[in-house]
Amino acid sequence: MIDKEQQHKPETTSNLEHFSYDNVIVKNFAIATMFWGVAGMVVGLLVALQLANPIFNIGEQAWLTFGRLRPLHTNAVIFAFVGNGMFAGIYYSLPRLLKARMFSDLLGKIHFWGWQLIILSALITLPLGFTQGKEYAELEWPIDIAIAVIWVVFGLNMIMTMIKRRERHLYVAIWFYIATFVTVAVLHIVNSLALPLSLFNSYSVFAGVQDALVQWWYGHNAVAFFLTTPYLGLMYYFVPKAANRPVYSYRLSIIHFWSLIFIYIWAGPHHLLYTSLPDWAQSLGTVFSVMLIAPSWGGMLNGLLTLRGVWDKVRTEPVLKFMVVALTAYGMATFEGPMLSFKNVNAITHYTDWTIAHVHVGALGWNGFLTFGMLYWLFPKMYRTKLHSLKLANVHFWLGTLGIVFYVIPMYWAGLTQSLMWKDFTPEGFLKYPNFLETVTQIIHMYELRAFGGLLYVIGALVAVYNYYMTAASGSLLKEEEASAPALQGGHKIKRWHEWIEARPIQMTIFSLIAISIGGLVEFLPTYFVKSNTPTISTVQPYTPLELKGRDIYIREGCYLCHSQMIRPFRSETERYGDYSKSGEFVYDHPFQWGSKRTGPDLARVGGKYPDSWHYNHMLDPGSMSPGSIMPSYPWLLDDDISVDDVPAQIALMRNLGVPYEEGYEDKAVADLDKQADEITESLLNDGSETEPRKEIVALIAYLQRLGIDAGKASSVPLK
Amino acid sequence: MALVLMGLTGQSAFAATDQLIYGVDNFDTLLFILIAILGLLFVAIMIVALGLLYVVRQSLQSMPKTEEELAFEKSGETGWWQFFWQKMQAAKPMELEKDILMDHNYDGIQELDNDLPPWWKAMFYICILSSFVYLGVYHWWVESDAEPVSIAEYHETMEEAEAAKKAYLATMANSIDETNVTVSTDAGDLSAGKKVFDGNCKACHGGAGEGGVGPNLTDEYWLHGGDVASIFKTVKYGVTEKGMLAWESKLTPQQMSQVSSYILSLQGTNPPNGKAPQGEKVAAE
Repeated sequence: MIDKEQQHKPETTSNLEHFSYDNVIVKNFAIATMFWGVAGMVVGLLVALQLANPIFNIGEQAWLTFGRLRPLHTNAVIFAFVGNGMFAGIYYSLPRLLKARMFSDLLGKIHFWGWQLIILSALITLPLGFTQGKEYAELEWPIDIAIAVIWVVFGLNMIMTMIKRRERHLYVAIWFYIATFVTVAVLHIVNSLALPLSLFNSYSVFAGVQDALVQWWYGHNAVAFFLTTPYLGLMYYFVPKAANRPVYSYRLSIIHFWSLIFIYIWAGPHHLLYTSLPDWAQSLGTVFSVMLIAPSWGGMLNGLLTLRGVWDKVRTEPVLKFMVVALTAYGMATFEGPMLSFKNVNAITHYTDWTIAHVHVGALGWNGFLTFGMLYWLFPKMYRTKLHSLKLANVHFWLGTLGIVFYVIPMYWAGLTQSLMWKDFTPEGFLKYPNFLETVTQIIHMYELRAFGGLLYVIGALVAVYNYYMTAASGSLLKEEEASAPALQGGHKIKRWHEWIEARPIQMTIFSLIAISIGGLVEFLPTYFVKSNTPTISTVQPYTPLELKGRDIYIREGCYLCHSQMIRPFRSETERYGDYSKSGEFVYDHPFQWGSKRTGPDLARVGGKYPDSWHYNHMLDPGSMSPGSIMPSYPWLLDDDISVDDVPAQIALMRNLGVPYEEGYEDKAVADLDKQADEITESLLNDGSETEPRKEIVALIAYLQRLGIDAGKASSVPLK
Repeated sequence: MALVLMGLTGQSAFAATDQLIYGVDNFDTLLFILIAILGLLFVAIMIVALGLLYVVRQSLQSMPKTEEELAFEKSGETGWWQFFWQKMQAAKPMELEKDILMDHNYDGIQELDNDLPPWWKAMFYICILSSFVYLGVYHWWVESDAEPVSIAEYHETMEEAEAAKKAYLATMANSIDETNVTVSTDAGDLSAGKKVFDGNCKACHGGAGEGGVGPNLTDEYWLHGGDVASIFKTVKYGVTEKGMLAWESKLTPQQMSQVSSYILSLQGTNPPNGKAPQGEKVAAE
């Protein structure tokens, strides 16, 4: 054991400065973490139950259906639970690592309340169906702007604290905080670029392939820079603190930090393997994922090896117990990720529940357990007392661990089972399970088990809340923690090369920005500007006004969360769904709707496959057309009217985004819309379903019947 | 730990099924096995060699021991495995940590300056190297007008599947079509036909063939012909403009003939809620 006191060099008392650390803001973020955390997990449990049995789409209420609650679950656990957890940890560790109070209490308060308001607005708007239709970036443009502003407030507060610091060098945790700030800012702003039609409706400025690339550059790096880098920073503070051991290797920190942030940003295209994304970009996604294994493991190693000599503490100390499992889950998820990026593995796992299992190892194991561990440390510290109950902490630990096991194993099983069924052929050359539903009913019990795992995890979190609360109640909050340190003096000597940069916060920020910009630019610019990367197809025409309205409904109801629109070039997919998708088919898709999960079948070429009345009955009661279906009913589509007032503005907006509607088409658009709607109403009436042309169901049918039709008109679609 | 094991076995399990599905040819499989064996052999040789080296050094007492080795022995960890692990990890023994303790002190957190673990470094190098090889094989060293990788792979699979299907059908007398289909009254055929009907046709034609979205199948009126060949043809190719799907790619010829026979067996059953007749009257055969 190293005696820390030895290392403290006696300071000259003449320039010693006195100040205090603010614990109130940390406490607030910590409470928000658990509050939103439990809320987000409960919504997760509800959507898990909805997949096990559609009856949990309670009362056929629009705002309680899977398609609207799933984005609420993902946004809540990512931005509310992990977000607040990250801020709690940063507002605690950053001032202590810099020996300076946070720059501004006011900015801190704006940050805290601003972030909670953003979450509240998400809680209201997502169930109402206000969405941009891009995963983990669903929030509409006014909220996006608020996020950007609050994020900058957070960054400003952080960087100004660094400038006022009393510690010459920035500790590795802070490098990760800086990378988090700059990268999330860049990702969020670029991926949210959209033209608004109204206060709660906007359309991505990118279309099709480009939109997909930007979205998964964002989606992948939201995982990297919202769920990983800030938590690595927290790990670097709380693990050595709780273990009372020096960090294992400073040079490993340097190498793994820079390689991690540089390489991570390139790996986004591994979410788009075998899609219409240009081949070279897919390959970059694969190889950079493989190169990412070592940098990711660097963080795990530095954490676990810091525990050398104190492993006996892990048995008794809940903080360490949770953090060891968190680091192990991190190591597993970051090894599994690159494995899933191999194209032949991805061909099996993508679109299945395997991916769901993978992300939950990360979310429940890494983020969840690290947060719990951190809070087991923070509450007793801030409230100057002992943890209320060690026993309950252990109960929580085992409930959480079992919860993870019961969650992920059924999901791995379900993913593999379903994928193999999708791909199975009879010797006659037919799909063995031509009815998609068969592959769903096969795994229903796995969905039930998964919900049970989720339940255990939620109960564990509630036990933790009780334990934290009792701990706080038994002590009193130390609002201002007194500290003193000498002011920073000039004239220090650089002994190692990296000290040059780690003593300069602004340069550190700029270098991080450069490191994370390269990969994105190299992949995006050619995809956007080089024509040959997205060959057009002459028969692909813009959507009609009615189809645009239908598409709005498709996005509003979150159809993309269960249905892909991307047929990969596999025999099992072209036999089931039709010719594989080409990039030219999506040039007017603002936003793209390729999806990432097939809980239901692909819809890229569903147009013309079923009669209008089939869709009508199916939306009213999916079970009537597909017995055993787990899709919710959408009865309100039969009651609600579309609004046609904004049709001319919508056409003009689409033209501004590059969709070639002829000049003046705005004036004819509503007439066209009514004409098409009348035809569909007529066809529905012939099959015994009576409705009115302006009902939402008519617009949705128009959109669905258009999907994949245009490319089929081309006698031979160019392959490249 | 259980999860790690599961993850590992899971990975290898689907690597195997992948080959089954795509029919990776024997040469690739052989190459893969050979490389795996060579890799394992290489690792084994390295372990043995390092172990031997250690034994040799142990026996040559004249060789002075480094401070590190002394501390290592003092800690009570002996044996070639610990020695090997120590080398792979390159961690300073805990007794000697003071040598690499840096003068950093961040809120009481100190830092050691251990070397990068050699196994980790090797892994990193191998990953980087193989990435360049990957890009080379699929992008740099291919003809400039080659098809994109995924598409070339697709065409290859389709050709193989077509050949396999032809070979299979040639051996099986599975060649019923609309020119030679006959009505069967065999109970086995009819119950197989009912199964196909319940699984695929019920949604539109009703559980008893009474009709729904699609027409009534129990009356004597037919839109596209009421003899077995016509029904077979309607099932096989569909009438897409009226919403009848083509089942050619989802049902085998035998299944289509069974379901056609089953449909004819429903004639005159007159189920409740029957849809009004559509099409022309056809006298029963």
